[in-house]
Amino acid sequence: MKDVLFTLAEKKLLCDGVWEFTLASQEALPPIRCGQFLHLKLDGAFLLRRPFCIYKYDTHSVSLVVAVVGGGTRRLAELSAGTRLSAVLPIGNGFTLEKKHRKILLLGGGVGCAPLATVPVTYPDREYVSYLGFSRASNVMFEKEFGAFGKTVVGTDDGSYGRGGYITDILAADIDALCPDIILTCGPTPMLKAVARLSHQKKIPAYMSGESHMGCGVGACLVCTCAVKQPDGTIANKRACVDGPVFNLEDILL
Amino acid sequence: MNEQTEYTVDTAVRICGVDFKNPIITASGTFGFGKEYAEFYDINALGGICTKGLTKERREGNASPRIAETPMGMLNSVGLQNPGVEGFILEDVPFLSSLDTVVIGNVAGRTEEDYCYAVEKVSALDCIRMIELNISCPNVKAGGMAFGVLPESVEKITKAVKKYCHKPLMVKLSPNVANIADNARAAENGGADCLSLINTVGGMAVDWRRRRPVLANVCGGLSGPAVKPIALKMVYEAHKAVKIPIVGMGGIMSAEDVMEFLVAGATAVEVGSANIFDPHTGINLVNELTNLMKRCKIKSVYEVTGSLVV
Ligand SMILES: Cc1cc2nc3c(=O)[nH]c(=O)nc-3n(C[C@H](O)[C@H](O)[C@H](O)COP(=O)(O)OP(=O)(O)OC[C@H]3O[C@@H](n4cnc5c(N)ncnc54)[C@H](O)[C@@H]3O)c2cc1C
Ligand SMILES: Cc1cc2nc3c(=O)[nH]c(=O)nc-3n(C[C@H](O)[C@H](O)[C@H](O)COP(=O)(O)O)c2cc1C
Ligand code: FES
Repeated sequence: MKDVLFTLAEKKLLCDGVWEFTLASQEALPPIRCGQFLHLKLDGAFLLRRPFCIYKYDTHSVSLVVAVVGGGTRRLAELSAGTRLSAVLPIGNGFTLEKKHRKILLLGGGVGCAPLATVPVTYPDREYVSYLGFSRASNVMFEKEFGAFGKTVVGTDDGSYGRGGYITDILAADIDALCPDIILTCGPTPMLKAVARLSHQKKIPAYMSGESHMGCGVGACLVCTCAVKQPDGTIANKRACVDGPVFNLEDILL
Repeated sequence: MNEQTEYTVDTAVRICGVDFKNPIITASGTFGFGKEYAEFYDINALGGICTKGLTKERREGNASPRIAETPMGMLNSVGLQNPGVEGFILEDVPFLSSLDTVVIGNVAGRTEEDYCYAVEKVSALDCIRMIELNISCPNVKAGGMAFGVLPESVEKITKAVKKYCHKPLMVKLSPNVANIADNARAAENGGADCLSLINTVGGMAVDWRRRRPVLANVCGGLSGPAVKPIALKMVYEAHKAVKIPIVGMGGIMSAEDVMEFLVAGATAVEVGSANIFDPHTGINLVNELTNLMKRCKIKSVYEVTGSLVV
């Protein structure tokens, strides 16, 4: 982890209220893995940093996908290219694949697709199938990006684009034919709950990247904890920032 | 020749016989057990570090969300999640023992017996140079605050743990009280060697659209710049009330803030939430304070402590 000074290099509107930001650094970035996030410092009245998943990375830059939901993200959306920003990165355990995981199913909901896009970059030698869910046609993003990794299915809740219905229902209909070794997912809580049921029924391990309100983002303040089942059956409060944000869906109490 | 770099200042302070390189101590609960911040800078440059509140048994703390951002501050309701004294000794003492800065053990409890047990165990450790008695945590129903509100109970718990404390005893006062001077005197009468204040101020955040509290625990403790004026007043009043040294805290973000606490009567300060906002805060404050003292031709911290003119 390092506090890096970035310049906002590029800002792009992906769909209504969702921006892609590219942050560039003069110095080389510390090594980044898929599913890790950064903690971005805003100016002035925003005392707490804001956590965002890393959507793309290379040695000197990272991209984020930011949905405007409140004061901090609104402030971010107002920034113009050239603005200096500092961010601590990389944070968190990220997604880990074992050798036996050959066929990977990426399941994303809305902005939650963003952290999954780094998996094929960290693990290029696997087979990927992606299921991406959005509320409606005007919110569909990332189709081209995930298409580059392998077969990609897009669904919309209202059926206005791609296949209709919740993406977890669409996946449930296809999963026996797909037979993935592991599911990696990120998205809204109801979606994660549906994936947890599917993973349990089909006995396919599933890992999710979660969101929890954060303070320090470095593992020191214990405000970000979530309840996680331990091997001995007890429940422990684990730090989402450094013990997570990726947890086994079977263990996490959603 | 640059006059500023030539002027030498002494940032060291001694509190109850313990030598600190400088008056910047990181506050309990915001700095873990030091390890996390050691990744960002050499934490040995700090005056001292204060551990997370330690209790006799391991505690899981409160449900999440445990944090809310508020105007120029933050609320937390962690609720003393900690590995317990035994877990602390196994997991954290080896690292703390390798440090060359003052380590203060922050101790809390549910009952008087729990407090005495934890104080005895923690204060016996070589790496612990001082005990900070947390009788002011607003986030735990049983214990903590119950001991810190009435002056009688402050004196009683201080007296009780003092017998078991192998190191200087610093009593951490709550701001959620009727009269801080009475509580400061009560701790002094109970045998406290020094005082620290303030702990967080009781507070609440409401999400009116959902008709729900923001914190799962409903209420929490307010910290950060929003509480600084409250903290300064309390340090000032406590300083007038007692003879023992005072460690001041509450909303410190800059070296200027540190100076304000020193002037109001503090010998050293603790810095809490600012570590959460920026991981380099500790080292930045040490450097800024040294530079500020040079610029203002202040030779020693002692020139500043309690120098308020009213
Ligand atoms: C590990 C992690 C990764 C994330 N990745 C992304 C991402 O890639 N893209 C994206 O758009 N959003 C992401 N989020 C959510 C994002 O952090 C919040 O939407 C953002 O902090 C909201 O800030 P605000 O000031 O606009 O909202 P406000 O509601 O005004 O924020 C108030 C406070 O609550 C916190 N907060 C509010 N909503 C959330 C939330 N859902 N999760 C955590 N903290 C929250 C804020 O950080 C702030 O401290 C992620 C969250 C986490 C924990
Ligand atoms: C997340 C968090 C956890 C805390 N935990 C403790 C604790 O365990 N014991 C304690 O005595 N004080 C605890 N405190 C209080 C701080 O040590 C400090 O007294 C208070 O935050 C005021 O200082 P500040 O405004 O610089 O943060 C905690 C504060 C925060 C923000
Ligand atoms: S945000 Fe501080 S420990 Fe996770």
